[in-house]
Amino acid sequence: MRYIGGSKKYVRLRMAVLTIVLCFSFAFSATAQALLNIGGTAPDFSVRDLEGKDVSLSQFTGKKAVVILFWSTWSAKSTKAFKRMQDFYEKYKDRGIQVVGINADNETISREDVENIKKFVKETGITFPVLTDKALKTFRAYEIIALPSTVIVTEGKISYELPGFPLVGTEDMFDYLLGLAGETPKKKMEVRYKPQHDSIADASLARKFMAKEKYDMAYPLLQKAIERDPKYMLAYIELAKLYDLEGKDREAEETFKKALASDAESVPVMSEFGYFLTKKGKIKEAVEILDKAAKMNSYTPSHYYLAYALSKNGQAKEALSAFDAALALNPYEPMIYILRGEHYEMNKMHKEASADYRKALELTLKIK
Amino acid sequence: MRSGKLAIRTASGRDLSRRILFLLLGVALVFVPMKALAQQDSSDKAASLLKDSIKLFDEGDTDKAIEAARESIKADPSNADAYDRLGYMLLKKDQADEAMGAFDSALKINPRMRTSKTGKGLVLLKKGDLKGAEAILKEALELNPYPSMTHYALGLVYEKMGDYEKSVEQFKDGIKKYKSGKR
Repeated sequence: MRYIGGSKKYVRLRMAVLTIVLCFSFAFSATAQALLNIGGTAPDFSVRDLEGKDVSLSQFTGKKAVVILFWSTWSAKSTKAFKRMQDFYEKYKDRGIQVVGINADNETISREDVENIKKFVKETGITFPVLTDKALKTFRAYEIIALPSTVIVTEGKISYELPGFPLVGTEDMFDYLLGLAGETPKKKMEVRYKPQHDSIADASLARKFMAKEKYDMAYPLLQKAIERDPKYMLAYIELAKLYDLEGKDREAEETFKKALASDAESVPVMSEFGYFLTKKGKIKEAVEILDKAAKMNSYTPSHYYLAYALSKNGQAKEALSAFDAALALNPYEPMIYILRGEHYEMNKMHKEASADYRKALELTLKIK
Repeated sequence: MRSGKLAIRTASGRDLSRRILFLLLGVALVFVPMKALAQQDSSDKAASLLKDSIKLFDEGDTDKAIEAARESIKADPSNADAYDRLGYMLLKKDQADEAMGAFDSALKINPRMRTSKTGKGLVLLKKGDLKGAEAILKEALELNPYPSMTHYALGLVYEKMGDYEKSVEQFKDGIKKYKSGKR
């Protein structure tokens, strides 16, 4: 589409002036999808290694599994994740397991950044390919919500996702990897839930209709997705959000409750439900559910939604600390700055509010 | 006789005129398409250079991107977009005066070029002329159907002025309009 003054690409260029880079999908709607990508097609990527050579996911076709470790030099847990993954890679690289590390230090990677990454890789003794992600395209395509995060791709689909590097979840993931490498897992693995293909397809189509504001088309698809696979949490979340968007609060709440009845431990559902309750003024209920969600794993939205609920509950100190926890996991999420901006605004701290809203807009427009 | 000579002369004159006319037509038939082709060629060349410039800029090679944008302008000096892009590239290199010149050139070709107005606002902000920046950014906002970036620039101006309530308003508007698809 062209309009006076140039193309969309042109706008991107313009944005790049204040160090403006290309823009991808907006993160506001990404949270529901995060952690719920399992079963979906893994987006192909084409990134560069530290020597400038192109590397793409498709070049690993034929491998049993591709383990993508999203990491950053500034995240302490990334070092731990790297070392642990290196040990695994050394043992099992000949069993069809490919590991790649995708760096997410910055939106734009300078020569200096590359040197820093090289230094980090040398110090940690990493031998698997370490890649740079220009404008965080791959980071966003995989809807990564925390650093580090591990995504396992088998047969072109995302078969496992682990945000952060939590104690328990990490062992489960390595057990899963052992199974893929043909070894006996350390503990008996439960049969992993895989969403039904048709439900994924219906929900995906519904999201496209929602993006085009064709809500009438989205409702039946989401309802059908739930009917087909009552364990598919993404469909519940999207349906509840749709009801919320159209002011159907009762239906939205019922949908969240149905989702929790089907999977009481779903952190994404608890997080989105908590945020919904906060917006509706049911603060105590929201804090309770969000606190539980935040303690369960490194799902970043649970931390910033909790922060927001705490702020609404008049617990400013605790709120700011929860915002910090969210930022430590993912400083690229605009929603964290928007909600904290609202907190500052509510407390008449206009300078701080301005800085946060500015940061949110910079992340949204990809301005550095 | 006189009238006969005159008649011959007149006939020859007519003949000559006709020949000149045919000659001109021939020239026109050969050279007009050639000129059009040449124009098309230079316009294609300009477009291709501009494409290269954008790619270089995206890859972070601003110096080469500027060079390519200048070459593009040389090939087609009537392209306001090329001046505008060059303006933003120069702005990134902190060459505020040159950037202003490029934006002015773009606006000379297309006075309603809102992106160049936003660019000028950013130059003025950089130079510390906050009132001037505010005025031109407000103008750009009126012209701009996709105003998130202009809201952002105006927010920066208000932040610099120390008017945080206004800057909050601008940044929030930018976010809201982006979310609603008005980018």
